[in-house]
Amino acid sequence: MGALLRAVALVLVASVAVFAATALLPADAVAVRSGGRVDGEQLAQLRAAAGLDRPIVARYLDWLGGLLTGDPGSSLVSGRPVAELVGQRAPVSVVLVVGALVLAVPLAAALARTRGPAVGVLVVAGAALPPVVVGVGLAALLSGAWQLVPPVSLLPAGRPPWSRPELLVLPVLTLALPTAAYAGGQLRGTVADVVARPFVRDAVLRGMPPTAVALRYVGPLVAGPALRVLAVSAGSLVAGTTVVETLFGMSGLGELLVAAVRARDVPVVQVVALLAAVVVVAGLLFADLVATRNERDR
Amino acid sequence: MKPRHVLLAATALLVAVVLTGPVLAGDAALRTVAPPWSPPGPDLPLGADALGRDVLARVLTGGRELALTAGLSALTATTVGAALGVWAGWSRSRAAPVLTAAADLLLVLPLLLVALVAAVALPGPWAVVVGTVLGGSPLTLRVVADATRNARYTGYVEAAVGRGEPTATVLLREVLPAHAGLLGADLGVRTVLAVQLAAALAVLGYGPAPPAADWAVMLRENLPGMALNPAAVLAPAAALTLLTVVVAVAAQRLGQGRR
Repeated sequence: MGALLRAVALVLVASVAVFAATALLPADAVAVRSGGRVDGEQLAQLRAAAGLDRPIVARYLDWLGGLLTGDPGSSLVSGRPVAELVGQRAPVSVVLVVGALVLAVPLAAALARTRGPAVGVLVVAGAALPPVVVGVGLAALLSGAWQLVPPVSLLPAGRPPWSRPELLVLPVLTLALPTAAYAGGQLRGTVADVVARPFVRDAVLRGMPPTAVALRYVGPLVAGPALRVLAVSAGSLVAGTTVVETLFGMSGLGELLVAAVRARDVPVVQVVALLAAVVVVAGLLFADLVATRNERDR
Repeated sequence: MKPRHVLLAATALLVAVVLTGPVLAGDAALRTVAPPWSPPGPDLPLGADALGRDVLARVLTGGRELALTAGLSALTATTVGAALGVWAGWSRSRAAPVLTAAADLLLVLPLLLVALVAAVALPGPWAVVVGTVLGGSPLTLRVVADATRNARYTGYVEAAVGRGEPTATVLLREVLPAHAGLLGADLGVRTVLAVQLAAALAVLGYGPAPPAADWAVMLRENLPGMALNPAAVLAPAAALTLLTVVVAVAAQRLGQGRR
């Protein structure tokens, strides 16, 4: 219960921070859209029409009220409801992030279990690489040298992302590989500690198959820290979609966020950024709940 | 070769490129000398970029500002985090746990949004500094606060306190030097974060303004011509790989207390 309350408080704080950050953007949407062609008086009128002249606290409360009643407002640029824009873009990003997680989790587990200094260097190096470099390198290999997949994923508008799976290969791999390296590196120490415990050694000596040992004895003890690392990874995956979607020309939420920041489309920026924060908080909450349950069981 | 020698050689290469590259390349990085994305040839070892400029010259020039920005960002983030962390770990004030909690809150915010807003509001390198401080300092604070709390009850610190040394002297001459390896590793990790942020912002169009050469911007500029001259993309990608991997591996070894 306390964990849930803390999560709600975190989301509220994040909403204040997101709202304040967008209010700090120099030149609002009205100024960007008019491109300096209108004078000060007209600008003031346009601002009043868009509700941008009211005090920031009142605007925040309006916005929060709108969010809670399911109305996050409309885009300042296209006039379309934010919910519709987000709904249209979300499938691409969800498929990318979920696909990356499905790939990264077993890979991270394998990296965390493998001993040896070479793997130690590999996970540190893999986690340090900027996603752009990983993406460019993969594109050079898979679509340049081996011609396996198309280099840029120009998905026809309105088609669901899973209708052309070959377009997903590069972005999903670009997101998954650094995440697996990071998570694997974070968990190597924990896994080594657990594996060295007497009951695991006994199980191995009894001739239990390695997979069974991993699932029955190592897994439950590593689950808490692993979920925590997973929650942090999910956050960086969500942030990574901005770069990956821009790089490979996919129109998902990350690309929407970048375009909206450029156009000062504040209502869109706020909702997308808050969604990203909610994903992180939800992940941490889930990790907390599992950790407390594990402790209670023991 | 031992791993240590590989690391040293890579570091030397990196430092040489960053320091002497701009001098060697001169103004060749800005001149158009060939058709766009010409493949490598005898005159142009790495071919030409989107505007027909020498890719090798641009790779030699494109690291200095990036390395400076990353170093400055990391130094600021580690200094801010370490200063607040020492205070939070040492002080018995009630404000200390509040500060730690506030720092944890910062970690929930989508870092890239913070960096994007900073990039719109501030000129290029400062957005990276702000992003690195907001995303990195809270982690430094937590690590340093823990280390300071533990150091408090060690013999050498208790002896210094018992001698009547002023608190500032105890912190600067006893507590912090004992954690020099920790701080060095932290500096490395923040440098990697700063390079990653700078690269992400450059891809999103908030990098250094053209025509300046920059490894991350080169990726964005030359990706469309990858089929014509792959070296225009792969060379800056290799340079960024060298930079981040060398710093990250060195930081890890420092953190483990190995040189």
